[in-house]
Amino acid sequence: MTKTKTMTFTFSRRRAAGAALIGALALFGTLGPAVIAADPAQQDLLAPLAPPGGDYLLGTDHYGRSLLARLAHATRLSLGLAVLTVLSAAIPGTLLGIAAAWAGGIADRALGIVSDMILALPGLLLVLLLAAFAPGQFLPLYLGLALAQWVEYFRVTRATARTLLSRPHVEASRLLGFGPGYIARRLILPELAPVLATLMAFNMGTAVLAISTLSFIGVGLHPPTAEWGSMATELLPYYFEAPFHVLMPAAMILLTVLGFHLLAGEDRS
Amino acid sequence: MTASLEVDGLTIASGGHKLIRDVFFTVRPGVPLTLLGESGSGKSLVVQAIMGTLPAELSVTGRVVLDGKDILGTDRRALWGRRIGLLPQEPWLALDPTMRADGQVAEVYRHVRGLPWSQARQSGRARLRELGLEAASRRYPFQLSGGMCQRVALAIARAAETDLLLADEPTKGLDRALRDDVANGLKAEADRGRSLITITHDVAVARVLGGKVGVMLDGAMVEYGPAGSVLDSPRHDYTRQLLMADPSAWAPRKPLAPRDTVIEARGLTKSFGGVPVIEDVDLDILAGEVVALLGPSGSGKSTLGNLLLGLLRPDRGEIRRKAGLSPLRFQKVYQDPPSAFAPHQTVRTAFADLAKRHGLDWKRFVPLFERFRLSSGLLDRRPGQLSGGELQRFALCRVLALEPAFVLADEPTSRLDPITQREVADLLHELAAEHGLGVLMVTHDHAMARNLAGRVIELRSAEPDASSPGGVTAPA
Amino acid sequence: MAISIQRQTGRLLAGRAMQAVTVAGLVGVLSFALVRMLPGDMALRIAASRYGPDLLSGTAADDVRAELGLDQPLALQLADWLGRLVRFDLGNSLVSGQPVIDELAVQLGYSLWLAGFALALSVAMAVPIGLIAGLSAGRWPDRAALTGAILLRALPAFVTGLCLIILFSVWLGWLPPAGFGTWRELTLPALTLALGLAALSSRVVRDSMVAVAASPYFAFARVKGLPERTVVMRHGLRNGAIPVVSLLGLQLIYLVEGVVVVESLFAYPGIGHALVHAIFARDVPMIQGTALVMGLVFVAVNMLVDLACAALDPRQAAR
Repeated sequence: MTKTKTMTFTFSRRRAAGAALIGALALFGTLGPAVIAADPAQQDLLAPLAPPGGDYLLGTDHYGRSLLARLAHATRLSLGLAVLTVLSAAIPGTLLGIAAAWAGGIADRALGIVSDMILALPGLLLVLLLAAFAPGQFLPLYLGLALAQWVEYFRVTRATARTLLSRPHVEASRLLGFGPGYIARRLILPELAPVLATLMAFNMGTAVLAISTLSFIGVGLHPPTAEWGSMATELLPYYFEAPFHVLMPAAMILLTVLGFHLLAGEDRS
Repeated sequence: MTASLEVDGLTIASGGHKLIRDVFFTVRPGVPLTLLGESGSGKSLVVQAIMGTLPAELSVTGRVVLDGKDILGTDRRALWGRRIGLLPQEPWLALDPTMRADGQVAEVYRHVRGLPWSQARQSGRARLRELGLEAASRRYPFQLSGGMCQRVALAIARAAETDLLLADEPTKGLDRALRDDVANGLKAEADRGRSLITITHDVAVARVLGGKVGVMLDGAMVEYGPAGSVLDSPRHDYTRQLLMADPSAWAPRKPLAPRDTVIEARGLTKSFGGVPVIEDVDLDILAGEVVALLGPSGSGKSTLGNLLLGLLRPDRGEIRRKAGLSPLRFQKVYQDPPSAFAPHQTVRTAFADLAKRHGLDWKRFVPLFERFRLSSGLLDRRPGQLSGGELQRFALCRVLALEPAFVLADEPTSRLDPITQREVADLLHELAAEHGLGVLMVTHDHAMARNLAGRVIELRSAEPDASSPGGVTAPA
Repeated sequence: MAISIQRQTGRLLAGRAMQAVTVAGLVGVLSFALVRMLPGDMALRIAASRYGPDLLSGTAADDVRAELGLDQPLALQLADWLGRLVRFDLGNSLVSGQPVIDELAVQLGYSLWLAGFALALSVAMAVPIGLIAGLSAGRWPDRAALTGAILLRALPAFVTGLCLIILFSVWLGWLPPAGFGTWRELTLPALTLALGLAALSSRVVRDSMVAVAASPYFAFARVKGLPERTVVMRHGLRNGAIPVVSLLGLQLIYLVEGVVVVESLFAYPGIGHALVHAIFARDVPMIQGTALVMGLVFVAVNMLVDLACAALDPRQAAR
């Protein structure tokens, strides 16, 4: 008994820490660009690679651009793109999953084949292939990530809904005169919600990782867009003179992904 | 060499709270001991105390004397498999899922008794053959039914030939139909001169085994003596209650007065994956009668019931319901009560939603709750916080609120403890008598079927059970 | 029984074969679309791909146009494109003019070395860490391992790699930050990948060990009187290995993705590096070739994992 108690305690403490972290980053990303006076694209060629603490709170990059302003814009970009990707993947994925479990038969099979096709390739490879159509553009990146991720929601939802639909309490509800609307809303969604929440939080982290990784290797968003991965690439040649400058975007990625993973709660494998 | 075991003043405590108080008994070869009690009475702790596997945080006092030597508090690892053998609870979980049945028996001969592999394997198969498991020896546990796993465990116990054998809830999770099989297997071990201790909630097992019986309630032994006297002339109230709860001891009931037909089936046929399960079955259920549907696992009992309710579609045949009855008046009560309720909803929500759906007044439920002795405090709990018996009574309330004409009761008591089982059976019978309800009761239990039902229908197994590969899955 | 397990293994192989076909189809169709989207004269581009830029002339382009029927309906062209793919006729690189297949043969070998070394390193880290964490479940070594795993999983591979470069190349000066040739160049990229893999697999080893130690079959093996060695080796290890080996299938995804990133970071001349460069240069034959080979290797290794799982766990073989 005591064991379960401590477990749920650390469990919720972990989630609270994740929520706090993400909350702070979201504030930085939404308010930051408005509050910070500096323009992220404004170059100050007299002050390249300025150290933190002077005129610029976090210093400047090799063109003398304010790192604080750039990090704030990059946060808004990454969080925004992650939210967009996850919603674009989760909503159709979940609805199709429930529909496939409910309908069964040919529709279920066809959707299963489509999801198998997408899973045939590792997700990043698929995104890379799409990114090749328009390197540096926002659209293929977003489409590729959403396309790779909806399958997860579809599979999890379909499997969960299938098990739930075959459970006696759903059969009993049918016999007691409840319709499909009630069963989906009151019996299936509440069981599904915690699973979906975990998956969404985790996939936000995955999206942030993928966006920065692709930009870092030069296939995602390109400079001068303020993005963590491309900022790291740009500052990489200066790691000897200004090691903390390179580590700043890296630290932002770490904090964001850590926040989402903590928010996801369980140690998901 | 034969063993005698004497347990004296055994007390097990967690913190200051005593889980087991002053338990005592003796076992000698040929005189088996059965500890009888419901789940939660602490029987299994006694087994762990003898084996030496109690969790470290529990403190234990008293004496456990094996052949004159107090072994309590000593490391007993060296005795396992040599002096003391254990028949585990739920053997389908205790067998290694990645090892074939014969290997699991043979390794006892190899590693405990030191035979070379070839002989060990032969002896292992011989033990399985003795127990009628020849066909199963090359199968993995997941390909065996619960009863077959139980017999593999028995073969392992036999291979070890320990003088003392402990059986911990050997019928747990098994169909009632298999319990005699298990009990007879254990009896044979005792007759071979082994000292046997059996822990069970099942009076029938105690009856078959004979020897001595100890009855346990809340961690204490309330009655102890020769099986004959304890089971035939019990002195303690609790023992009496336990014995009365067994269907074979139920008093005959007043015959019911059946009326017109509520539901009838003609020529029902259903097969799954090409295997016929129900073939050409005719059936009538009248208002105000209880019909029992008997048959071994896999004989299609539940399938037949689900066909009647329209939950499955028959391949052939037709079902006619009495004209003018709403489909809502055909209902079902489930085997596993917790799974019949949404796990995240409180019972109050479930009933409120039902009232809303059908425009019923909440007042309609109140007398039902009273009649079923369900206090209003229970309403705000979730299924996980209620006992199986409480949930099954809620399930009956839920069904009765819709004034059913026909109820399919799919093994409604098989997951309940004996005393609750009796209550639920009584209720079903009363409802048939008072409300003219037609009840089709699916069950394994012949004694209960004879006691409750005006008519008994027995389905034969579509295929021989013991040799069908993985046909019956063990309950998880 | 044996027959049905064989049949199940057959079904499993058939499933992976279908996946391989899907990979080829997906990569082929996307590459075809990519080539149609490129600006400029396609015939010229393909001629360059076939004969190399040096031998390129206007007539060669016209020949290609006629031969491939580039004025024919799109469906026919696609069929022809996929037909070449099936024959593994991948054309020449638009950049180097060399046959794609020759370049791939070299690059794939390098990448397999890297991936294999990374996998071995990750096992060498994850198994002991997982076992120690499992033995001390809930106490500080377990928590420390968990914290390390959570932090590592929140880092993209390129950041892990950067930190390793700063530590081992810049500060300590032990290992080169880039290049190729000896084990010294192989170590940092392999370690980067291995850390990412071990972050997950050490937890799976730990959970699996805790689950087996708490399982009724493990307890029963002891109660049967078997010697501790047999209990652990036969009943513990085999059952404990099942989730760890199953995880390999998932880890392959990480490995394929990680190879692309890590090779770019460390300028390691493997297939992932080639893919990224082909995307920069819009070198479609190379994009197609690298993606195809990576996809097919992914499927093939997955199949080996399936077979290993089926050999370890009879329940999976019979599913």
